[in-house]
Amino acid sequence: MANNNPLAETTFVQSGDTRRSAKISRETISAIAVAVLCVVLLLGARFVSPSLGSWSQVETVLILGSFLVVLSFGQGLVILSGGLDLSLPAMITLGGILATNWIGSSDPGAWYLLPIVLLVCAGVGFLTALGIVILRVPPFIMSLAMSIIVSSALLGYTKGTPRGAAPEMAIALMKGSVFGLPAPILFTIGFVILGWLIQSRSIFGRYLYAIGTNVEAARIAGVPVFTAQVLPYVLSATCAGLVGIMLVGYSNGATLRMGDDYLLPSIAAVVIGGSSILGGRGTFLGTVGGALLLTTLGTIISAIGLEFGLRTIIEGAIVLTALLLLREELFQKLGSLWK
Amino acid sequence: MTGAVAVAGGEAVPGAALELRAEGVCKSYGATVALEHADIALQAGEVHALLGENGAGKSTLVRILTGAVTPDAGRMYLHGAAYTPHSITDARAVEVATAFQELSLVPNLSVAQNLLLPRLASSRSGLISRADVLAKGREILLRHDLERIDPAAEVARLPLSDRQRIEIARAAENAGRVLILDEPSASLAETDWLFAQVENAKARGVAILYISHRLAEVRAICSVATVLRNGRSIATVDLDDASDGDIFEMMVGHRVDPARPAARSTSGPREARVAVTDIAGSELNGVSFDLNAGEVLGVAALEGQGQRELFRCLAGVQKPEAGEIRIDGRPASYRSPRQALRFGSGVSYLPEERKTEGILAGLSAATNVVLPFLPRISRAGMVGQGREVSAAQDAANAVEMNPRYLTFPIGELSGGNQQKALMARTLASGAKTLLLFDPTRGVDVGTKESIYAAISAFADEGGSVLFYSSELPEIVQLADRCLVLYGGRVFESFSGEDINEQRLVAAMIGHHDATGQEATR
Repeated sequence: MANNNPLAETTFVQSGDTRRSAKISRETISAIAVAVLCVVLLLGARFVSPSLGSWSQVETVLILGSFLVVLSFGQGLVILSGGLDLSLPAMITLGGILATNWIGSSDPGAWYLLPIVLLVCAGVGFLTALGIVILRVPPFIMSLAMSIIVSSALLGYTKGTPRGAAPEMAIALMKGSVFGLPAPILFTIGFVILGWLIQSRSIFGRYLYAIGTNVEAARIAGVPVFTAQVLPYVLSATCAGLVGIMLVGYSNGATLRMGDDYLLPSIAAVVIGGSSILGGRGTFLGTVGGALLLTTLGTIISAIGLEFGLRTIIEGAIVLTALLLLREELFQKLGSLWK
Repeated sequence: MTGAVAVAGGEAVPGAALELRAEGVCKSYGATVALEHADIALQAGEVHALLGENGAGKSTLVRILTGAVTPDAGRMYLHGAAYTPHSITDARAVEVATAFQELSLVPNLSVAQNLLLPRLASSRSGLISRADVLAKGREILLRHDLERIDPAAEVARLPLSDRQRIEIARAAENAGRVLILDEPSASLAETDWLFAQVENAKARGVAILYISHRLAEVRAICSVATVLRNGRSIATVDLDDASDGDIFEMMVGHRVDPARPAARSTSGPREARVAVTDIAGSELNGVSFDLNAGEVLGVAALEGQGQRELFRCLAGVQKPEAGEIRIDGRPASYRSPRQALRFGSGVSYLPEERKTEGILAGLSAATNVVLPFLPRISRAGMVGQGREVSAAQDAANAVEMNPRYLTFPIGELSGGNQQKALMARTLASGAKTLLLFDPTRGVDVGTKESIYAAISAFADEGGSVLFYSSELPEIVQLADRCLVLYGGRVFESFSGEDINEQRLVAAMIGHHDATGQEATR
């Protein structure tokens, strides 16, 4: 090297790359935040009314929350894959009405009809998916249309007044207890574990993340795109049908509007739980937190004794606020504070 | 900060006006430190190169200079005044314009609209006149020697190279003071047009920052270079005084042995693994060739000669309109990359556009690597990150990717590491035929060598490789045989010692080397 080489004065810093990556992901922060908020709300509610925040109150929240947990699992899968399912209310009603009509309380031997009810729901979800994946109808239009078709068909089928009573199995599921614990809570715990395995640990779950991120890149990477796009709608419809059966067991009967109040919460639980509404991001545990948070809120609001209309307005406002607060920037901020 | 950074660039060209200066800028994304400490000073009328390995922080520095990202700390001055752009538009308002590596054009708008964005020509009524827009677009194209491009054409329908030219022309048009070119030649097969644009801007007294991995190019057009390593600016050097070895040393921290690997033995019995007969499509006009086991077949071509379609047909992404593809002697009946991967001995594809066809940004690098063969590594349909990382480990080693990166979301990695991960995926898929479209695009010297080594090793073990490259030295170094595509046909093919840059270039522009006659097309 010549003396006037500019490199001569250059001292090299160590060549090891010492930069780090964020250890805590956006989804984790969200799940933790939602869980903490849940507990704070339950404890805080004690100051409003001493009866709140007790163990029995927690039990009520968990039982009521089980509907939303099951429902938002399906919705979460659809959203993860980059879609949206607006047919859930109709599918809940379908599940509930078929269960009361076909099985009823009189024939305990007809348990085998329950899986058939779920299969019918899955079939309807499959049709929705075909419209979206093959005919390329935008998800919200296709699922909304299917929702209207199913609701109208049910109206015709029941002639406006659903008959029948809750099947014993559904009642046992929602009202029974095992080892002193309420059956619906045990069921929900099992469901959450299964759901977590499917979304975060199964090959199918990985495929959903992939197609929700970028369908074209996923196709080139060898992901079975068709299956991965269709299956979430099938599962979502099945979960909604199951929620219908659970609701029937809980309230001893089906109505034509039994699913109406669940659409926005099913989407809100997913988004509050940290998932991206555009797909490709999110965890089921976050969604479970979101579902429980929404249920806690609902319980507290009704315990305070507000009118139903007012209650809905407050719920809507809280959901909107949560969505605004939980946007991307907040997580970047939190992530940078963490290091 | 160790204070070990030597900056000699400030006074590199005596008398020239200092145009844009950044001091001690740094930027972290969450806990990921992308840029730790960078100093750079650009002079008016000077072309300044920014060099560094993948992940050294080049893109981040560029994003800071262009206002796309606000630095966490550090100061910037433009013409002596503080320069704190909060957006790309802010930067452009003070005549700092950028041609981005990942092009920033709006695909469904016309060429003219893209050239004029964000301010489309509007009349007094406030409405936009289509005719005005087209006329202004045509003017800009003319000013940048691109009159062959139709200003009314939809950008999405143009080949990548023309999109890149439009991106560059738009930046040059808006750059009154500073022009930043981030990998401007990545999709261009020849640089004459690009260099003319740079010289033009230079003559106007614009300060130019030129980011490229191609050192020959940098030497041809730049006078000063700043080297980044691991997020720090290591030095600014006069390019006339620094040898290639000096620069490599600054980039990687140790000397790179420039010796090329010995030519692979190409003898031995072979069988045709891929046989292509007369396939045709919108850009292909009948291409036929055989690819044997243990062979590396290069494809050389100017942009838009049908190579993209050829690779997509072979990969199962699209179907050829005519002709036949046979894999292991069987007609290829696959209709998706997934089926191609499982057809016969398997065909695996490394796509052209990393961002839109390659990576899945939110997923970890390990998941990105193992995605095509998840069932193989799962237990009862279940996978976890640990399983994925250990399955991706070997492939990552094969391309010398730091295994630490495997757990990171791939979108947070640098372009070069993303490319390594995709290369690792292609290698690890288990397919015996690899289709590699520009496997080293936007990749630094060290990474290139490891990718070359991985390709050679794959072929030595009996694998077949078809690869397209926009860099001829790569084809000369790697290919056992080389096809030159021109106008959607195989114009000429070379093998062994006959593969050299001069002959390839001649064939690429449609000259038969032996006779010198012009191709009839």
